[in-house]
Amino acid sequence: MAARQRIVIAGGSLAGYSAATELTTLLPGSDIVWVTGEPHRTYSKPALSKEFMQGRSELAELMLPDIGGETKGLYTLRERQCTSLDVSARSIQLDDGSGIDFDQLLIATGASARMPDMLRGVGGVFSLRTLDDAMAIRARLERRPSIVVIGGGLIGCEMAASARALGLDVTIVERLGSLLDRPFGGAFGSHFLDLHRDNGVKIHMDATLTDIIIRDGQFAGVRLADGIEIEAGLALVGAGSQPCTEWLDDSSLAIADGILCDAYLAASSNGIFAAGDIARWMNPVYGLQMRVEHWTNASAQGRAAARNMAAATGRPELRKPFADVPYFWSDQYGQKIQMVGWHVGHDRIDIENDGGGMLARFYRDGRLIAAAGVNVPRAVMKLRRQIEQEAQGLEAA
Amino acid sequence: MKIIVDRQRCDGNGVCMGIAPEVFDVDDDLYLHVAESIPDDPELRARVRQSITSCPILALKLVED
Repeated sequence: MAARQRIVIAGGSLAGYSAATELTTLLPGSDIVWVTGEPHRTYSKPALSKEFMQGRSELAELMLPDIGGETKGLYTLRERQCTSLDVSARSIQLDDGSGIDFDQLLIATGASARMPDMLRGVGGVFSLRTLDDAMAIRARLERRPSIVVIGGGLIGCEMAASARALGLDVTIVERLGSLLDRPFGGAFGSHFLDLHRDNGVKIHMDATLTDIIIRDGQFAGVRLADGIEIEAGLALVGAGSQPCTEWLDDSSLAIADGILCDAYLAASSNGIFAAGDIARWMNPVYGLQMRVEHWTNASAQGRAAARNMAAATGRPELRKPFADVPYFWSDQYGQKIQMVGWHVGHDRIDIENDGGGMLARFYRDGRLIAAAGVNVPRAVMKLRRQIEQEAQGLEAA
Repeated sequence: MKIIVDRQRCDGNGVCMGIAPEVFDVDDDLYLHVAESIPDDPELRARVRQSITSCPILALKLVED
């Protein structure tokens, strides 16, 4: 009898969870070793900056259902970091000095929050990426500090909205001239600005951070290039994220702002796959390489990678490219804001505003490639199919 | 196969609808409508299961036949 195949999943968040769930079902005769840096079970991340930060949901409500354990061939190693990958020896090393050999490996170690150098290591400065981050922020919010949010992107705006929901004094500092510019491709910029201002947020646009103010050893605010000082007891930083690939730097794996993968989520070395925020894959819908840092992508991609891994283990019928129309949403001040598709490279935006909600359509070469909406969830989601079909007809650039 | 929606939790973010629009429909009041019966199509049912595990606020539950 052949030895049991061992599949290692690196990364305990949604992509790893979704792959582990799928693999325990598809390959009951394999050992699946799941390595996670987290002390917690897999939890829902979208809620961290929304309901959880506002105190409207509690820890237990964030936890995803348990997958099961060793009876299903799943062995979970918690609070272990992967430190290196040896492609030729087919093993990974962990921070406790141990090594694990694998037949196949799924890399799903995600992305980490980017922190501007001047803010790194300063007490009273937080980014939000993990449950522990969210709990630390929630504890600080109980002291009811005034807040400066660094970065008016998705996470920054959500944190600002949540802090306002708690009645706190909030100022956003944004490098660009509009809020949520990158995630929404420039659509609804003035709406987002009005929305936050109407809800009492002070906003500094086109602002460059030059200095932080420390008083009695405590963070006390920031200084901008134009000389303005913003007093704050707490800084919440939403300055984007970067894929967690440092541990792979000495491996021969092809990496360029994420692990480079083909349409099947296979990395450059045989038997190694990637999924979630860390994967830059060739999305057949658009004929483009992209890296998507959103919840639904991590879920669907973890599952797709697992199926392609199972395909390499005697289930060839499961092999399928990961063709996906990306999707994310945000909740701010009770407004439902959504984006479906990939707007990068659009040459036209049409915006409809019927008073109750707004819908933006993004086109390239006359083809619908993405759609975004404020309070029109049905209209947005209904365009998903059309986007998928039209994007597939794009000429390769 | 039957789907149970936790109405206290569901906030109409439409993740499920994006994955299986044949079964889930969020209206503009953010109310989620679910198809009464789900066709016995393995591909669709796999997507329905994926919708349920993809719900970021865990508002969906599945009861298999």
